[in-house]
Amino acid sequence: MNKSIFNFSKALALSALSLLFVFSTVSCSDSDDEGVSCQGGDYGMSLAIQSTDGSYTYYTLAYNNLMSGTLTAQGQGIEQPGYYDFKAIDNTIYSLGGLDDVNVVAISQDNGCLSQAGDVSFPNSLSDLVKADNNTLVSVAMSSDSDIITFRKFNPNTVSVTETVDIQVSEFTDLVGLSYSGMVISDDHLFLSYYISDPETFATTHTDQAEVAVFSYPELEFQEVITDDRVGPIGGFNTKSGLVKDQAGNIYAISHSNPANGYSQSTKPAGILKINAGETSFDEDYFFDINDVANGTMVYAKLLSDGRFFAEINTEARANQAMWSDSPLESAIVNFEAQTVNYVQNIPAHAGDGRRLVGFEEDSNYYITIPEEDGIFVYQIDTQNYTATQGAEVQASFIAGFYKF
Amino acid sequence: MRGLVFLFTALSIFSTALLSAQSTNSAVISGQVTSASGNDLEGVNVILESEFKGTTTDVNGSFQLNDISEGTHKLIVSYLGYQTQVKEISINNAEKLEINFVLEESSAELEEVELTGKSEIRKINEQAYAVTSISTKSLLNSTADAQQVLDRVPGVRILQEGGLGSNYTFSLNGFKGNQVKFFLNGIPMDSFGSSFNLGNIPVNSIERVDVYNGVVPVWLGTDALGGAVNIITNQKNDYLDVSYSFGSFNTHKASLNGAYTNNKSGFTVRGNLNYNYSDNNYDVLAEIRDANGNLLEDNVEVERFHDQYQSATAQVETGFVETSFADQLLLGLIVSGDDDEVQTGATMRTVYGAVEVESESVIPTLKYKKQNLFFEGFDASLNASYNITQTRNIDTLTGVRYNWYGETFETNSENNGEQGLANLLEQDDNEFNSQLNLSYLFNEKHSLSFNHAFQHFKRDEFDEVNLSVNEYYLPKSLAKNVFGLSYKYKISKDWTASVFGKAYALNVKTSEQETNNVESTIPVSVDYSDFGYGMATSYFLLKNLQLKASYEKAFRLPTAGEFFGDGLVVLANPNLKPEQSDNFNFGINFNKDLNRNNHIEVGSTFIYRNAKNLIYNIVSVSSPTSRSGNLAETKALGVQGTFAYRWKDIFNLSANITYQDITDEADLIYNDFSGYTENLNKGARVPNTPYLFGGATAGFNFKNVGGDDTNLFFNYYYRFTQEYFLTSDRFGSIDTKAIIPQQSSHSAEIGYSIKKGKYNVSVEARNFTDEASYDKFRLQKPGRAFYLKLRYNL
Repeated sequence: MNKSIFNFSKALALSALSLLFVFSTVSCSDSDDEGVSCQGGDYGMSLAIQSTDGSYTYYTLAYNNLMSGTLTAQGQGIEQPGYYDFKAIDNTIYSLGGLDDVNVVAISQDNGCLSQAGDVSFPNSLSDLVKADNNTLVSVAMSSDSDIITFRKFNPNTVSVTETVDIQVSEFTDLVGLSYSGMVISDDHLFLSYYISDPETFATTHTDQAEVAVFSYPELEFQEVITDDRVGPIGGFNTKSGLVKDQAGNIYAISHSNPANGYSQSTKPAGILKINAGETSFDEDYFFDINDVANGTMVYAKLLSDGRFFAEINTEARANQAMWSDSPLESAIVNFEAQTVNYVQNIPAHAGDGRRLVGFEEDSNYYITIPEEDGIFVYQIDTQNYTATQGAEVQASFIAGFYKF
Repeated sequence: MRGLVFLFTALSIFSTALLSAQSTNSAVISGQVTSASGNDLEGVNVILESEFKGTTTDVNGSFQLNDISEGTHKLIVSYLGYQTQVKEISINNAEKLEINFVLEESSAELEEVELTGKSEIRKINEQAYAVTSISTKSLLNSTADAQQVLDRVPGVRILQEGGLGSNYTFSLNGFKGNQVKFFLNGIPMDSFGSSFNLGNIPVNSIERVDVYNGVVPVWLGTDALGGAVNIITNQKNDYLDVSYSFGSFNTHKASLNGAYTNNKSGFTVRGNLNYNYSDNNYDVLAEIRDANGNLLEDNVEVERFHDQYQSATAQVETGFVETSFADQLLLGLIVSGDDDEVQTGATMRTVYGAVEVESESVIPTLKYKKQNLFFEGFDASLNASYNITQTRNIDTLTGVRYNWYGETFETNSENNGEQGLANLLEQDDNEFNSQLNLSYLFNEKHSLSFNHAFQHFKRDEFDEVNLSVNEYYLPKSLAKNVFGLSYKYKISKDWTASVFGKAYALNVKTSEQETNNVESTIPVSVDYSDFGYGMATSYFLLKNLQLKASYEKAFRLPTAGEFFGDGLVVLANPNLKPEQSDNFNFGINFNKDLNRNNHIEVGSTFIYRNAKNLIYNIVSVSSPTSRSGNLAETKALGVQGTFAYRWKDIFNLSANITYQDITDEADLIYNDFSGYTENLNKGARVPNTPYLFGGATAGFNFKNVGGDDTNLFFNYYYRFTQEYFLTSDRFGSIDTKAIIPQQSSHSAEIGYSIKKGKYNVSVEARNFTDEASYDKFRLQKPGRAFYLKLRYNL
């Protein structure tokens, strides 16, 4: 045997043996040596990050500076794998979702650190969670293939459920495919808007009138369905923005029948209806022809402190909208009483997340995030001058929540 | 249940036939080849010079030559690195001659025997491939099943959701699901149904399991992206093996295996029957919730109450072996079924009390094999099967849900089951498979093989509860042709190389809805083809130091479901491309008899995988729809090490470890609202995949303890998996991240055999330290368990 070959082979054999030792060191170096982090800040954000397999994981973080740099979840943030929807009520962020079951977790700042509280579990997803009073939150669970809708009352301090009420869908409609679009509690009534979409095909074949179910509160007993045929159904797929309430308790019902938000057909014009505070019927004298005023259809609206609303308006005619695209949207400040719309300058037309509108108001600024070609950016909107300034870039696939603590 | 009744009838008929048919005659030479240190030698050439007859020894070192003519013959036994032995024998008609050989290692210069006939060197040894072959020889008295055997292979990790019969994910170097293909004696198991769960195949039905890492030889004829597993059931011509084990959680496993062959006519009957049952009522730590969903008690030890599982499988083959018209011509039938109660959802927070899954399969098979068909050096084999599998998902209990105490709560719904909308979904899968292999041996240096594999798959779905679901009326069929050509060149006595090419052709037929309107359903057909190629080479640097290198440009063709969605919310993507991967393996194996009593083996395999166009379901955020896309890219760099030491036949110790760094390499991801965006996980380790794991085995074996022909053995098994993250390790604060914790488990077994292994008894303590072990996301697996096994072997 050639000696050099022998030496070579000996070296190979030795290297194979030494591998076993290498492994043992590898196994030690990967241990978790990072400590428990405490993260706090003035603002909060829930970021969704898509993974290679298409699933999303959510990270809720606190930041102090929204207007420069990059906002990231690298190495920080409360992790929640699964499907989540976030809703801020007062100074608490409620995450609704889970990996398999559905949990409600309250995320708040405690001594300058983000902390989680709550441990409830439900088999079906929650469509929304709204504030009834300082000691009560009310959630609703409804699914287009279910014969019941379920209300739950929560104690916000303990994040526990105090009461569960199941309502048979057959009590108020014979149609199958009841889909959630908005919920508001005003005085002693709960208003629930919905549209009909086929549980299999998601086709919307009932678009001739707006329907809102009225329940007594706090009893949560079904009372009636109020209808109005000036517009089609209220709200759309997953936007949860069909009903909004102002400071006085007036409720506005937003109808768009947009293909971009899941409508396979539309038979009525877009528009906004009103239910006056204390009443349980549509105000026949009020009609906000949004398409006439803004040349678009309103999809999202959120109340500002001066009684006006921040809104996202789809500026494409229905016929030209791409199905399910939630696009193209433009931001505006809207006065429902005066029926005026002021579009915000310096924000590019954008797509929504196809989910609950995220953003918050601070002083005379409203903050939102906008997905653009080269990333997602924070925008600060001056609600008096209708101009916007681009801020920090956000490292995320989309933003599921944006809050001020 | 009809299937089970049928099985037991078949069982009793089959066992009676076997027991009454144990007899042999005709001239046969058989024996065993061992090394001087007493190790069984596999792959030794045994040649009957005068008759152009030859064979190679199996994993046990055993060989058998049939149909020997009366007279004097020269028997040549040769093996690389050992001195060749030549023995003169004379044999009478119908004599059964047993000759054992002990080969001495050859000194520096290797001798090579000039092989004359072609049949002798025909056994193309797959040595050059990165293949791990596990013989069950030493495991036949253990309660292990195919799953446990495979879980001890380097690079393999099986993530299991619960106890016997539960779902699992098999991963090989990080490739999962249909990226790794399974075969039963070379027949694809793609749609064999859940009763062919690896945990249902006991070691007694298995001769060996071959695991091909990344590079798959053409004769398996498949589109495997990350490798293939071939389970080979017992191939012996005459034997009987009956075993029964029972133990914790009311677990019973019975296995009857046997074969009878008439050496004169070549008529044979062979098969196996397996039955498994378990209550799976092991204790878990669970949360107890009230009707409102609030947590009442945490970490309560409760017994699983809805997890009963039973399965039965019968495989019977009959035909002829070792005849003039065929080396093997077997007609077979596999009948199989299982009933599985489902206890949990994807996490233990979802607890079910009535959901069940049932499956039944009927699989007729045909096997034909002939060497020297038409002319010398031309071999042919054909495997064909048609499987009919019916699976039912039963979620028909409405109006209630369960908590971990087994208490029920009213949901007031008449149409919601436990998993969502109540359903009784029935899936009928029909699949025809054929594998044709032809090979020609030009001479001792050159050989050529050709493979054609054809697969036709059809699925019908029907839901008795929800008759209006449109997708169930849409046809789904898929036809796949795989052609392979392989050329093997033996460059020198130490160096062999194979190159191969594979062509894939796919045709998928289904219907697609053009709009939201059911009436707009139109038939759609997609054709696709692609080419893959690869090589494998092996070089003996020294007689006991082997280097192996292999490469394959591998493809996995999309499934019908991936192409066409479900006609509803999963949208079609007719532009879908196959997944592809560049797979490299480089291995070093060293084995040496240190002296007569000590044997050592050390091996290491480096793996590199660069996978592109990986298919995943793109979920949208602004709509309920999703579709498949070719978006993911991963890179894997891994190393596997194995070590084995043996002292005589008395003590053995082996260990293996796998480290694999699998990273996400996609530049872009896609979602519906922002289109293609930067992949924030690029470069990060692929989550929810074990990256460091290993195991060790130690065993003692004592002969003639308490009597002649007895055997006492003791084995210890250890398994280890380092903790890993459910999600990307890049994001989130460490204290809130979802972690699958580090796990280790210890098992031990002790057994005793009398009368040369005819009667055997063994006891196993599995996970005897009772460590909590989890897989998937915190799905708890059984704790400490004990099993007793009785086995009779003839």
